[in-house]
Amino acid sequence: MEKSPEMPQDILRCIFATLEIPDLVRAGSVCSSWHAEYTSLCNTGNYRLQQTPCLLYTSESTDAREAGLYSLAENKAYTLILPDPPIRSRYIIGSSFGWIITADERSELHLLNPITCEQIALPSVTTIEQVKPIYDDEGSVCNYEYLWYTGEDVISDTPSVFPLSELRDFLFYKAFLSSDPSMGSYFVVLIHNPHSQLSFARAGDNNLTWLPPCSYYEDCLFKGGLLYASTTIGEIHTFNLDAPAVTQKVFLDKMKHIYFERIYIVQSTCGDLLQIWRSNAPSCGEEEGESDSDLELDFDRDSHVSCTTKINVHKVEPTSRKILEINSLNQNVLFIGHNQTICLHAEDYPQLKANHVYFTDDNYLYTTDFKNNRRDIGIFDLENNSSEEITTPQLWSNWPTPVWLTPNPRRLNFGTLCS
Amino acid sequence: MASAGSGDEKAAAAAMITLISSDNEKFEVTEATATLSQTIRHMIEDGCTDGGVPLPNVTSKILARVIEYCKKHATAAAGEEGSSSSFSDAAFLEVDRAFLEELEEFDDAFLEVDRATLFDLILAANYLDIKGLLNLTCQKVADSVKGKTPEQIREMYNIVNDLTPEEEAEIRRETQWAFE
Repeated sequence: MEKSPEMPQDILRCIFATLEIPDLVRAGSVCSSWHAEYTSLCNTGNYRLQQTPCLLYTSESTDAREAGLYSLAENKAYTLILPDPPIRSRYIIGSSFGWIITADERSELHLLNPITCEQIALPSVTTIEQVKPIYDDEGSVCNYEYLWYTGEDVISDTPSVFPLSELRDFLFYKAFLSSDPSMGSYFVVLIHNPHSQLSFARAGDNNLTWLPPCSYYEDCLFKGGLLYASTTIGEIHTFNLDAPAVTQKVFLDKMKHIYFERIYIVQSTCGDLLQIWRSNAPSCGEEEGESDSDLELDFDRDSHVSCTTKINVHKVEPTSRKILEINSLNQNVLFIGHNQTICLHAEDYPQLKANHVYFTDDNYLYTTDFKNNRRDIGIFDLENNSSEEITTPQLWSNWPTPVWLTPNPRRLNFGTLCS
Repeated sequence: MASAGSGDEKAAAAAMITLISSDNEKFEVTEATATLSQTIRHMIEDGCTDGGVPLPNVTSKILARVIEYCKKHATAAAGEEGSSSSFSDAAFLEVDRAFLEELEEFDDAFLEVDRATLFDLILAANYLDIKGLLNLTCQKVADSVKGKTPEQIREMYNIVNDLTPEEEAEIRRETQWAFE
């Protein structure tokens, strides 16, 4: 057989753009022209790559730098070696645009792209409004002082003192990015304690900026240049982080009274704003029937498992400023957890199940208080309110909590960073 | 049930275009079929199709296949236009669905070709600028490399590995995880 004619670069690009990362990497080492196309795809931003989310996790491997990447498209697990500090020693508090946001053993934050192994240090944890460094005799930070106030409330006049590695247990809930850092500029937004407040930083900032006065935020979304943040009672606030003085606007008022469910917001594939309520209440019996003290009575910490039992999806009506419960997502697929909430169309991702919610554990108290217990991870069928496992047996360690990651092979654009 | 789009077909049948392959074979096609190619559409708009359109990059074997694709899809496009005015009519929706299914079956059967022909079809679709055919054939190649090692891909498409051992080692070092 004759040698095939060279494939023009633009055709190769057309083919490569549809490949999942592992296939893309392998195709990129077929020959020099295929490698050149792979390299160019990784170094240019103006091409849409379609990647099915993967589950990023750690396991009881010998190397603490190892992370597992479970591909839903291939039903296959890959092992990545990530740069220091070892991934198993970090907490994973967010995942956006293929980057995870982690807190290390000094409670300092990093952005990390597990595919390119590139890393960006975020402003120091001590620049958060409620955190102050405590220095030892040699002038090194030895502890953190943590102040108990929000923009509306002083919870306690007495600050707490935490060792460097323990602050992260109390401080961080979630973190989000406004855009792909590989493309240059971005905002990082944190939901942190006390009481789940917001702080943010722009790429290159030395400090995190506090966004008072409200608290109890649950999820964030970037849309049309604005930050949308949803609270645990279903309010949605918007912020223009680009403005010289950032102010909060109310987009949606309080939608519920009880702080029971976790709330997510996402834009559906047809442009609607969705608000999702996720509940861990036992499916049999009324949740009001059980008081906290009943639960405490006969409590076995080791066998305690939190399970998602109900997921309700609502469409936000922007004109009437109300929400409307919807029975079916139709062809939409949701990914919720510590990741930036994702909504995809099943026709574009044939391996995903339409009208299903792929969930990982982000229950703050449960994940931080019961680090070694079984994580609440699975695929929830909205049709019949039942969940199934992603893999059996379970591949991941229970801590740090696994997250959904949309793999991103793009490398940081150093030109943009230097200028 | 009326047959959708028969009027459009009649109108299109009036204008015929002659396409000439690299080995000098002539193909007579309707304008509706020919203009699925943006390249030919522009030639028609510029009025330079008298005496036939020479396509020096496409062999008669491949051109025949390309025309087969364009004929089917031109009919489909005409059918869609015919029925879109009465989209609320359930019977027409039913016709549309059946038509789309038939088109999908056609595309699947159309792609049942050897690798060399698939490559040639991609090159022809690119040269003639037929977006649908280019996407279809590229997707076929993408599907065929899924889960394959670089060695298997080279064998499949007869590609010579011109990477130096050093370059290959460097690529492997950076992305070893994807090869396990």
